[in-house]
This record gives sequence, structure tokens and C-alpha cells, in this order.
Amino acid sequence: MDSRLVGQPRPRAEDQRLVRGQGRYTDDVNLPGQAYGAFVRSTHAHAIIRGIDIEAAAQAPGVIAVLRGQDYLDDGLRGMDHIPNPADAIAFKERAFQHSLTGSIFNQRHLPLVVDRVRHVGEPVVLVVARSMREARDACEMVQIDYEPLPAVVDAVQAMEDGAPQLWDGAPRNLCFQARVGDEAAVREAFARAHCVVRREFRNSRVVNCQMEPRSALGSFDASSGEYLLISGSQGVTRQQMCIADALGISPAKLRVVSPDVGGGFGPRSCVNPDQLAVLWAARRVGQPVKWTSDRNEAFLSDYQGRDQVIRAAIAFDAQGRILGIDNEIIGNIGAHTVSYVPLANGSRIMTTVYHVPAATALLSAVLTNTPPTGPYRGAGRPEATHVMERMLDIAADEMGMDRIELRRRNLIQPAQMPYRSPMGLTYDSGSFAANMERALVVSQWSEAEQRKRDARARGKLLGTGLANYVESPVGAPRERIEITIGTDGSVDFVVGTQSTGQGHETSFVQVLADELGVPFEAVTMRTGDSRFVKVGGGSHSDRSMRLVGHLLVQAGERLRSTALSAAASMWGLQVQDLCYEDGRVRDQAGQHVAGLGEIAAHIGREGMPGNPEERRFFAEAEFNGRIAAHPTGTAVCELEIDPETGDVEIVRYTSIDDVGRPINPLIVEGQVHGGLAQGIGQAFFEDYHVDPESGQIFSGSYMDYGVARAGAIPRRFDVELTEDRTHGNALGVKGGGESGITPATAAIFNALADALSGITREELPMPATPAAIWSAIQRAQGVQP
Amino acid sequence: MSRVELRVNGVATSREVDDRTLLVELLRGELGLTGTHVGCDTSQCGACTVKLDGAAVKSCTVLAAQASGGEVLTVEGLSTPQQLGEVPAAFVACHGLQCGFCTPGMMMAIDYYLDTDGSLDDERIHRALEGNICRCTGYVNIIEAVKHAARARAEAGKPVGRQHG
Repeated sequence: MDSRLVGQPRPRAEDQRLVRGQGRYTDDVNLPGQAYGAFVRSTHAHAIIRGIDIEAAAQAPGVIAVLRGQDYLDDGLRGMDHIPNPADAIAFKERAFQHSLTGSIFNQRHLPLVVDRVRHVGEPVVLVVARSMREARDACEMVQIDYEPLPAVVDAVQAMEDGAPQLWDGAPRNLCFQARVGDEAAVREAFARAHCVVRREFRNSRVVNCQMEPRSALGSFDASSGEYLLISGSQGVTRQQMCIADALGISPAKLRVVSPDVGGGFGPRSCVNPDQLAVLWAARRVGQPVKWTSDRNEAFLSDYQGRDQVIRAAIAFDAQGRILGIDNEIIGNIGAHTVSYVPLANGSRIMTTVYHVPAATALLSAVLTNTPPTGPYRGAGRPEATHVMERMLDIAADEMGMDRIELRRRNLIQPAQMPYRSPMGLTYDSGSFAANMERALVVSQWSEAEQRKRDARARGKLLGTGLANYVESPVGAPRERIEITIGTDGSVDFVVGTQSTGQGHETSFVQVLADELGVPFEAVTMRTGDSRFVKVGGGSHSDRSMRLVGHLLVQAGERLRSTALSAAASMWGLQVQDLCYEDGRVRDQAGQHVAGLGEIAAHIGREGMPGNPEERRFFAEAEFNGRIAAHPTGTAVCELEIDPETGDVEIVRYTSIDDVGRPINPLIVEGQVHGGLAQGIGQAFFEDYHVDPESGQIFSGSYMDYGVARAGAIPRRFDVELTEDRTHGNALGVKGGGESGITPATAAIFNALADALSGITREELPMPATPAAIWSAIQRAQGVQP
Repeated sequence: MSRVELRVNGVATSREVDDRTLLVELLRGELGLTGTHVGCDTSQCGACTVKLDGAAVKSCTVLAAQASGGEVLTVEGLSTPQQLGEVPAAFVACHGLQCGFCTPGMMMAIDYYLDTDGSLDDERIHRALEGNICRCTGYVNIIEAVKHAARARAEAGKPVGRQHG
């Protein structure tokens, strides 16, 4: 249909309530008669619970109940199955990992409260329910837990070693699984004839999600109907409903999950947290609704975290600098519970990124440690893979004495190679990888960087430039559904199973559907976030929302237009071919008749749908289950200056060339790029979930100790350009924009850091590259022990 | 218990509260003004920022009793049902928000900046936003919104940077 709205940088509809303070986040919601919950959390990283004394707490003012994990088991309930092994990127009906070199793939159910052994600091042990939040928190102080501390291990590499403390029976050497992917024999052969092999180890740091809305959950139970209600922010209600209903042993129909406005997602909120289950159980126990809201300290101890991979990389090159093969080992720190293996699945699938690599293999290890569980965090394995690939190319260029851009030019997949099947099995249907890089070089004025370096040196600064190419993989939950109903007043209501956590679906989805139907933007209303009407849907993650929903909106739009024509034909006693659909109206060629969608809906209300008289709603649905090819891609260039006296860094210029396919709302897409970059800057320079290696105690449990990017950290100059090499994989040509900013960010930044320091040191900087780390590397290179 | 008397968004209110009640708890709980958010417990994130007697304060770090006798402006007071205020309108126009959780506090800090400084200089804006964390926008469009709002205020003939709080 015509594009009046699609492609327009339209300000968002949802903003009207959000900027008035009328957003409705979970903690803003209250139920009559609600009680308040507060958790007693483990103070040990690893310990046996010898006993829990709740006497004093139970007697404390206002306390209604003090609940332990054993009480939960005594109620005949079981823990949550996170289904950590995701749907495969290609064979979506199968799991990503089928085999483990350890014999089996470990998966442990996750109880809402620990029963006998805590496995990370912050794990919930006791839930106190009281009349007020303050009374609940006060009573938590009175709970006495007798711990017998055990040795803890927080580092994934150490956890795999012989003699390391073991977290779970059933996972020897703390391995959830170990898998070999790719073609090991071909890689061995490639390495045997290599001119040059480059090897490095990279440690991708652990980050905390830090969405601004602290998690909150409000549970209630209606004893007369046996129905539960959970109000809690998430990245999609369906998964929450399925997972929690399974743990409670009830039919999903007996659990309604509502996610109202959600204050940031970024990945981990796709998964279910123990506290969400705990409030529901507690509500049934005490016979009144129970509300819990995390404080920020609790968030640092209990939100699912991200990254934390060690990647040992090896690339073999021929004498011309062409890649012959890649052999990586990826060790993922899973934390104390088996929440998600997504980052390992994504990271290995995409590890050859935009380059032609004849042979590739990876050894993947998912390792349990005494740390909070990790989950998918924005990019989920792809930024880690991109970081390694792009750092390796800069290192290899340096070792081979080649220009780092020229090395990339020799290895980029060319348009003539499309569709391109990567050695890890992904098929790229489109992507102008070389053109994106060349454009980034132009926009960033790469060729004049040498002059800027000299200028910076004259000011006592070290200027560096870094480039990173990236591509993403179209994964995530494969199934999505929409339902559209048109009212007799012409209003268009549609229900969808994705969940905006800030991406503006009430605007971008409506732009698509309003265009499809030729109706004004204001005629369309989107509904989501309530399992009472969302029956199927995968939530929002992995760039899946517009990719899948856009496709379905086009399909459903076609059906509605076709229905409108048939209904109008029957209404007027004419043939469909004598009618046309235009601007939300059906008219006949002769100009005798015209009907809007509301009139057609009224006719269907009386006569039924054409061919289906029982259906009296003007209605269409569309559902998809599978994979839609879409590989967002692009190039980032970072230019920064280091003050060698202090190690302080300023990003002076940042260029981002992003092919998101067809941008539905460029304002929103660019906002996604900005936000992704800020998270990348955060990880590169500040964010460090620092855990004491001996005790497992957390040194960074607040915003005072854990650095996230603030306004002063953003680049002095930031150029974002959207290019478009439209995919044919879906009706709208959408690839996705949610992860384009973050995927190349740390790679471009670390390449720029290495370039700036190249005259002084070739030491690989740790992540985050704090001023202290940079300054120390400079000192060491100059023979001074910092 | 303490008796707290406040004018909130121009409306006089009086409440009897527990001594340790924070200003933000009074606003969100007793008064139902849930636009002001709590994002941390160390005065770092600024989601709870409101104006108290014209100065931006973090309402998670002020006791309700301390604020008694004062004049409070919250996000709900920045706009009327008919019209968005300059700062909220600028946030919409510049796509200065995504999830919207930090936005109320961010806008109150900016409103104060426009009262007391209002310069379009990036470094001054960065400093003004130092106490407010946003995890979604990367700040780029928030900074644009500050400039947009400053211009809108000046065009509307309202004072920018003259009031010193």
C-alpha cells in the first residue's frame, strides 16, 4: 500500500502519557488489600543453610507471613524451567544445542527461594510478607540464617578446573554443556597451510542490565476461581505465563500476566525471575495480594546479568592476508542457575561476521559459577563475537604489516557472493558490507586522521581511530501472532504479542497498519502486555518485533482489504472486480457507492464475514512460526583522544552507518543506535560487575560503585546514517534496529584505543578500559611498575 | 508521626506521616502522584527529581517532614491537560525518551537548569545532567531536547537562566 506514514520520523504516540507522568509502571499499580513482600537474600556466595530462625520476624509488627523455600516445596510446587537452550537459529523447531561433549545438557529448575544451599550473593532465601513495605523490610532484619560457608568460584575458567568448588550435582566441572560447532577437520587443514596464525585471548566483562525501572511484581490469587494474576514488567507476557504456570502446576489459562509500561528491557527481562513466582505463591498463601519492588542494591544482586565470556581466538591467514580459517573457544559464565545459553548460541553462529571465512569451528563451554545468573543482554553474543573478530583483524594487520582497512577489504563478503552461506550455517540474503565500510570511512574522514593525530599530539593527546564492521543474526522466539478487529466506528484495534520496553511500538506498528489500511494514524490502537488477550507471542528481543510484526501486519492488512471488498460487493450486489479499495474506503467504479471501514464492519456485524456468516466481527489474524531472513549490518568508526598523563579518554567523534533494512520510523531507529552506543561506551570504559574472587562478595552493588554512561560520556560528535539494502526476507524489507548501535561499539572503541596507544604499547587493554587501566599500561610500557 | 503541609503543583495538602517517610513516598503513595519515580537508593540516578521551593532535589533523599511548608513541583505540574510544557514538548519533539522511566526526573532537572542557566553549551548541559541516569537514549536526544526547550522558553518570552535557585 502507499507509504504516507512508513518512513516518517513521527514523534511517538506513547510519549503523550509518559512525559505527563501518566505512565503506568508496575510499582505505580496497587490492588485493594495488598500486602508487601521483602526478601532476605544470601550474604554468602556459596554456603549450606544449617537453619533459618524466623521466630522473631514472625512476631514483628505488621508481619503476616515469613516464608521459606521448604514451605514452597511442602506445597508440592517445583522450580521454574527457564528452557535455557534456545530455539536454533536455523532449524527453529529444534534446540540450538543437541549434544554435549560432557554427555548431557544440564538444566536445573530454579526455585523461588533457596532451600538448603545458596549459590550466589543475593539469592533469595526468605520472603517476609507484611502490612507495609517498611514493616516487611524491618522484619527481614530479624531473620537469622545459620550458614556454613563453602569455597566459592566466580570465574568461569577457574570453575572448569579440577578441584574447583562444584555448584550442582549433575554438572561435573561446573559444565552445563560443552559443544563443538563448525568443521573442526577443515579448520585443522586450513591452519596447517597458513602463512600466519594470530592467537589472542579476550575477556568480555560482566555487565549489569541497569534498566532504570527497578523490577517489581504484584501477585494475587482469587480462591473462588483458582486464578492467579501477576502484574510485572517484562519483555513479553507469554513466556512469563508459560514458565510460571509450569512451576505452579496449573494450566496457563489460570494465570493472567500483565506487563504495563516497562522501564527498559535490554534482554534479561525476557526471562522469569524467582521473585515473580514468589509473590504469586505468597499471595495464595496469605490470601491477599502481595507486592514487591526491588531497590537498586537488590537489583545489582538479583537482576540477570550479561556478557562475561572468555574467548580464545585463532585466525589463520594466507600470505595475501586472506582468512583461511577461524578456531575459537568461547567460555560463557552462566552464573549460579541455568537461565540462558542464548549468548553462546548467537555468538558462535555469527562469529565469522561479515567476512568470507572458508572454515570455522568453535568449542563452547557453558560454565556455572557462584555469581548471579547471566542472560541475553542487548546483542547477546553478537557484540562479544564482533569485538573479537574486529580486534583480531587489527592485531593481524599489525603483525602482518598490512593496512587494517585493506585487510578487511580483502576479506569482506562481496555482493556477488549473496546469498552467502557462512561456515556456521547462516545465510545472508543481503548486505552491502564493503559499501557500508567505505561510506563510514568517508563520513568519519578516515583518510585525514593522520593529520588529526599530529594535531592531537601537539596538544599532548594521543588520538586513535578504530573501525568495526558488524552483522547480526535473525533469532529470538520464532512464533508471533496479531489479531486485528475493526469497529463499526471505523476504529482499528490490534493485539500483538511483542512488548515495547521503550521501542515505541504504539507508534511504529501503527504507522505500518494505518498505511496498510489507508486510515489515519489516530484510527489505530495497539494493545499488548496482557495474557488475557495476548494468546500467542514471543515478546521483544533479538530485533524480532518489527521484523515479525511488520510482516504480519502486511499480511493481515491484505486480508482486511480483501474482506472489505467482498463485504462491500455483497452489500451493494456488485462484483468484487467492480470495486476498489482506497484511503480506507471501498468504492465502485461507477461512483455510485462508497463505504468506510466502519460501515463495512456494521454490514459484517449484520450479515457475517463473506464466506463465514458465523463470524460477525470485521476481523483478521496472522500468525508466523519460523525464521525470517534479516541481517542488520553496518560499520562503526570511533575516534578518541587519550590523555597519557591521566589515562582519561574522550570520544571526539563517532560514526555509525547502519543498514536496518527499511526504517519504519527513522527517529526511533536512530534513538536505538544512540542508546546501544551508550551501553557500548559503558561497557568499554566504566561498567564492571566486580566480584571478589575469593569470597564472591560484590564490590559494585550500587550506582556509586558501578559506572554507567552519563551525559558527559557521549561522543562530542555523533553521525548516524541509515543505509538501506533491503532484505527480501519479509514483506516490509525490515532487518531490525535495536542492536545496531551496541554490536560494533566495544570493538570500534577498543580498536581506537589500541591505535592511540600503538606508539607506546601493544598490550591488550582489559575491559572496561578505565583511566587507571590505560594509565597503568602506559606506565608498564615505559618500564615503570604502576 | 509528623504533620506535613505542602503545596504540590499549586495545591495545598496536609498529611500526617511516619517520621521516616521520604518526600518521594509521600508524593507517590499518599498523594498518588506516581509520575515521580524511584530508580536507586543512593541519590545517583535522579529519577525522583522534583523541584522544592524552586530548586531541583532528589525526593528520595528528602524527608517529607523536611519539606513541610514548601512548594513542590512534580512532572505532573509541568503540563496542563490541554498543553504540554516546554520541556515535555521538547522531549516529544526530539525523541528524548524511550522507556520513559527516567524522564520525569530528567525533565525536572532540566526545568531547573533552564531556570538557573539555560545555556546551550554542551558541557554546561552535561554538567546539569550529571545527576540523572538514562539507560535508553544515550543522552543525544535529551541534550537536543534541552536546547529545544531553552529556545521555546525564550520564544515564549519566559525567563531563561535568571532565577537562581
